Amino acid sequence: MLSRTKYYLLLYREFIKTCFVEAMSFRLHFVLLIIMDLVFYASVFASVDIIYQHVETIGTWNREQLMFFVSFILSVNHLQMSLLANNYWELSLLIRQGGLDFLLVKPASSLFSTFLRRISAGSTLLFLVPWSCMIYFGNKLGFTWHAWVILPFLVLLAFMLTGLIETIISCAMFWMLEGVGINFLRMQLQQVARWPDFIYAGFIRKILTFFIPVLLIYNAPSRFLFDFHDWLVMVGMLSAVAIGWVVLFFLWKLCLNSYESASS
Amino acid sequence: MITCQGLYKNFKTYQKEPGFAGTLKSFFKREYETKSAVKPFDIEIPEGEIVGLLGPNGAGKTTLIKMFTGIVVPSGGTVNIIGFNPAKRDRRYRKKIALVMGQKSQLWWDLPAMDSFQLLQRYYEIAERDFKKRVGELAELLDVQKLLNVHVRKLSLGERMKVELMSCLLHKPEVIFLDEPTIGLDLIAQRNIRQFIRDYHHRNHCTILLTSHYMADVEALCSRLVFILEGEKRFDGDITTFSNLLGSEKNVVFDFENSVEEHPLLIPFDPHWNDDHTRVELRIPHNRLKEVTVQILECLPVVEFNTEKLPIERVMKTVMENPALLESAQREN
Repeated sequence: MLSRTKYYLLLYREFIKTCFVEAMSFRLHFVLLIIMDLVFYASVFASVDIIYQHVETIGTWNREQLMFFVSFILSVNHLQMSLLANNYWELSLLIRQGGLDFLLVKPASSLFSTFLRRISAGSTLLFLVPWSCMIYFGNKLGFTWHAWVILPFLVLLAFMLTGLIETIISCAMFWMLEGVGINFLRMQLQQVARWPDFIYAGFIRKILTFFIPVLLIYNAPSRFLFDFHDWLVMVGMLSAVAIGWVVLFFLWKLCLNSYESASS
Repeated sequence: MITCQGLYKNFKTYQKEPGFAGTLKSFFKREYETKSAVKPFDIEIPEGEIVGLLGPNGAGKTTLIKMFTGIVVPSGGTVNIIGFNPAKRDRRYRKKIALVMGQKSQLWWDLPAMDSFQLLQRYYEIAERDFKKRVGELAELLDVQKLLNVHVRKLSLGERMKVELMSCLLHKPEVIFLDEPTIGLDLIAQRNIRQFIRDYHHRNHCTILLTSHYMADVEALCSRLVFILEGEKRFDGDITTFSNLLGSEKNVVFDFENSVEEHPLLIPFDPHWNDDHTRVELRIPHNRLKEVTVQILECLPVVEFNTEKLPIERVMKTVMENPALLESAQREN
């Protein structure tokens, strides 16, 4: 078990290195992507700030709470964009053009190689931006030391849940072959998840909490951090992660069995 | 080493009528049909042998290799390669095999090959010392020492195939699957790749299954040939038997002083003319070779002629046009 973990950590380190070497050979493109990410972060915070110049609260949340929520979203989104997103965009090409063949003959988990191979090198460098904002607004909200200790774990848990949901959805490419529609669906679900859950009502909220649990990704950890009595949402989130892993492993086997490769 | 029995693969496909109306119709209703890419297939390849898998486009050669490497799951049948069932994708099995596809690349396009090799070093857990030694040996054999730090996208097709081969051999595989390794290469590059494969096999005694469109590959490398037609094995035997399928005929080429019209003397010997009718290629039975050659020399303005064994391309073309020839050959084999 330990040697397997070491194997995958070393392999992942090599993925990171290879992606950095590749990305940095296109110097202007590398810098441009970093600038674009910075503009994106600034525009998100500016939008929330503009809204709060006109209203005192949104639902039950004040400016600091929503700013923290947005920082939390961006921290998780940063991990998703840096470590996973490129792999989703590439998957349909791998399936249609048969590039997946080479990943399937490698002596490592095909799931690992398929979804963690491509890293957006430039984006990884910007982790300080959302984390600094999260710490700044957490401080303003008067977080206790308990909150600070569990915060990194909650970010990782949220990243895991979003990764599981998006990977499960991406598996549909094995049958649909074309990936653009699936990738837009993923992005739409990301948009849905980026709002406080109280803006959704009734049936829609239940679907987005229990069936496609995107509302748990950012809302559950934020609500728990604002009020530790709200622990039930965390139980829901942990259950969703556990179920997600089971579904993904089962689904991945189906995907590989149905894979027909491409003609040479 | 490699055995399979009744191995087959079916694919589901659908036909679409041309044009917008056909597209609209198939959008709402598709009539699927099952196509047999590989029909029940048996083979046994002992350790250390090089076997050539031959057949026209769409015969099922690549599908067979994909089933052997665990990329595609068979629809039925059993397969055992060095003690593993490839469809189970056992990690230990994947460490012992290598796959080279002439039409696809596993190297990172925007990086020098050496960076891709280092990633492969991690995948296959090759110790640093062994890795350096192996890269050095292979680079020398393939004469690519100066290319390892050049971006893959800047390499010529022949150079790329060399580093591609290198990447597949770094982990010393026991079984190598080569799917059209010389496709698209010029004659010199083809010869270099063949030479390398032959030397590598000689040094390492690994098992190699090769598919190719170029008969020269098969002739140069394999003693045994498996011929597939429409997903079915139609011949399995030594290359000499396959070459003799059309009987003990000789291929004779005559060059003429000037353009020559069709001549009744030539018609029984399947004449193949060049564009300006100054050269003809004939298939003449061995026992009539002398007699027919003398007649042609007397009747036609021959300036030069030479005799050679019937090229295997011609044999393959003929058996594809007349598959019944294969059945009798297979019975004799």
